[in-house]
Amino acid sequence: MFVKAIPEKCSGCMTCEVVCSMYHWDVVNESKSGIRVERKSVTEDIPHLCTHGKDCNFECIDACKFDAMKKKDGRVYVDYDKCTGCRLCEKACPINAVWIFEKKAYKCDLCGGDPMCVKYCSQGALELVEEEI
Amino acid sequence: MIENSCYAGKILTVDLSKKEGKRQKMGDSFALKYLGGDGFGAYFLNKLVPGDADALGKDNVLVMVPGTLVGTVVPTAGKTGFYAKSPLTGGWGEGVMGGRIGFALKQAGYDALIITGIAEEPSYLLIDNDEVMVKSASHLWGKSTRETAEEIKKDEGDVIVASIGPGGERKVRYAVIDSDERQAGRGGLGAVMGSKNLKAIAVRGSRDIKVADPKKMMELFDKWYHTMIESPAFNDDGKYGTGEFLEWMNAERGTFPTRNWREGVFDERKEIDPYYWAPRYTIKNKACIQCAKPCGKAFVIKGKYGGELDGIEYETLFSLGSNCGNPSIEALAKANELCDLYGIDTISAGGAVGFAMDLYENGIIDRREAGMELTFGNSDAVVEMVEKIGRREELGDVLAEGVKRAAEKIGKGAEKYAVHVRGMEPPAYDVRGIKGMGLAFMSSPRGACHLRSGAYALELTGKFWKYEGVDRFSAEDKGQEIADMEDFMAIYDALGVCKFSRGMFLLDGFAELLEAAIGKRMGEDELLVVGERINNLKHIFNIKCGWTKEDSKLPPKMRIPIPEGVAKGSFISEKEEKLMLNDYFEARGWDKKGIPKEKKLKELELEEFMES
Repeated sequence: MFVKAIPEKCSGCMTCEVVCSMYHWDVVNESKSGIRVERKSVTEDIPHLCTHGKDCNFECIDACKFDAMKKKDGRVYVDYDKCTGCRLCEKACPINAVWIFEKKAYKCDLCGGDPMCVKYCSQGALELVEEEI
Repeated sequence: MIENSCYAGKILTVDLSKKEGKRQKMGDSFALKYLGGDGFGAYFLNKLVPGDADALGKDNVLVMVPGTLVGTVVPTAGKTGFYAKSPLTGGWGEGVMGGRIGFALKQAGYDALIITGIAEEPSYLLIDNDEVMVKSASHLWGKSTRETAEEIKKDEGDVIVASIGPGGERKVRYAVIDSDERQAGRGGLGAVMGSKNLKAIAVRGSRDIKVADPKKMMELFDKWYHTMIESPAFNDDGKYGTGEFLEWMNAERGTFPTRNWREGVFDERKEIDPYYWAPRYTIKNKACIQCAKPCGKAFVIKGKYGGELDGIEYETLFSLGSNCGNPSIEALAKANELCDLYGIDTISAGGAVGFAMDLYENGIIDRREAGMELTFGNSDAVVEMVEKIGRREELGDVLAEGVKRAAEKIGKGAEKYAVHVRGMEPPAYDVRGIKGMGLAFMSSPRGACHLRSGAYALELTGKFWKYEGVDRFSAEDKGQEIADMEDFMAIYDALGVCKFSRGMFLLDGFAELLEAAIGKRMGEDELLVVGERINNLKHIFNIKCGWTKEDSKLPPKMRIPIPEGVAKGSFISEKEEKLMLNDYFEARGWDKKGIPKEKKLKELELEEFMES
């Protein structure tokens, strides 16, 4: 399962980033969101988020020296008891989908199967793909 | 309250002359009295700007305030206001935008930014959380709004930028401030930045924005999100943007100002109607932050004016379109883009070009003075003249002053053709056939404005909120209606919520959202009192700046009946104008000269602001 981003449909409204951080942390802070939208130009808004193995070979898990990047039921997530914010996962990720903020890694964890970003994307720029990887 | 709310709790003041920043704690009672956005703006301008200050001089102050709900999940709560004495009207100046700059300011820890003084050299202000720096912008002077933002991001990394273009640098009196291709558009606040040698404001904010009750807030978000995407406006705005009702305004209402307000129907409107251009040129929707109902569009056009462009809003389809008799969507898109890049207001720019075309056709300026064949309908001339205004070249230099000053300079009876209220060129509502909006143009604290009251939909459809059966052709009973709408809309501006949600959120919606956000329940009546307080405070600032009743009047063209269409024959007489204005003063609890009575000031706890 993963969230597929369709940049051509993204309006750059930030709703995904805002609801993601609210859902996980009870605050609004896009740096703590598991999805980030890059506002590149007038015509380009590009959502970045983890596709849980669809576009990579789990480099973040291999790179982590603290056993903080974990995989369970096809979902890659951060174990915050172990994460030190060392940036190895951020550097290893081939699709720019993990970032470090105040010494912690942030990435998509699929919200337990019902991703908030997909639920509240009014433009259909984010789609939940249920395929097994 | 503040510690556990969406307020950041601090106000930052930066003195550009001394290159120093000061932080002040904000108290609960202040926050509750003025809420945020235009409430804070009105408070600070009254406190800090002397009435006789030169709008483009050292004593003017620029204030930036994100609305209270900015930075929360509340749908369409993405608006940030900029406030200063306006170089266009000489009074209360206010521009609101949907860019990310205010969101970033809150994350940096501030509910308001106050900028005083003048920088010694071209500079930009960097606010990096606790750190505040005034940095040289010599390398950015002359660059467009967009290039400026890009360059600063290259140097400073992940910051949000609000910038001015060459129009602001050259103090075009209706220059804008731009962030994320969104503009604080009206009244020349970009020129105020230019006069302060301030090219840009760059903000990096990393803090969490909290709310009093996160769980409740997410429930309310879910409710309002669905209300929004299930509303008819979701499809209309999504597909066609704010110009969706252009055809209706022409054919069904006859109030789409055309050729410098000669007509109320633009016969050559085929191409400028979004139903024509959106399917052909739009490649995607562009939203302000936190909006699920994006009315912005990104545009790709081929041909002589081709390129990837920012889409066109309703008001601009009038100003650079019908008002100049311009039937070409390609030229319109180009002129709109030039306004954005030079950083000038499309409404005033189109007002100025249409005015000049009127003068040209009436022989008040000649070919040599115009520098081109400046006839209505000459699309290339619209593009060329916008560029000349942005550069302040030749006639463009005169038009950059706004139509009021331009008419004074040109003389020869040009005043007759200058369409403005208190110096501000009006937006796309031919008030001759929407009389309540005629009053709204006069009563608005910032000059001819559709958004301070937002009453055009009410007038044009006859019903909204607690009003029904409103007759747009009548001047009777408009005072209370417009005052009520202004107080309601001031709450939108205080909370930072988009007025395109006004068909969705009424005051009960705000009461519960505000409670979840700040942990304090304010009822509908209480909110309206805050709205009334804010409007009185803006008006008091205007009085301080020398406003008298005689300044609030409609331009001469409003006395000429609309020549054709469904509003044919309608106009606003001097008697109607006086009736509406007096009615409004009475509804506001002001005396016959438009000065707030002591009783009203006491009631609103504003005694300290009014000198006797």
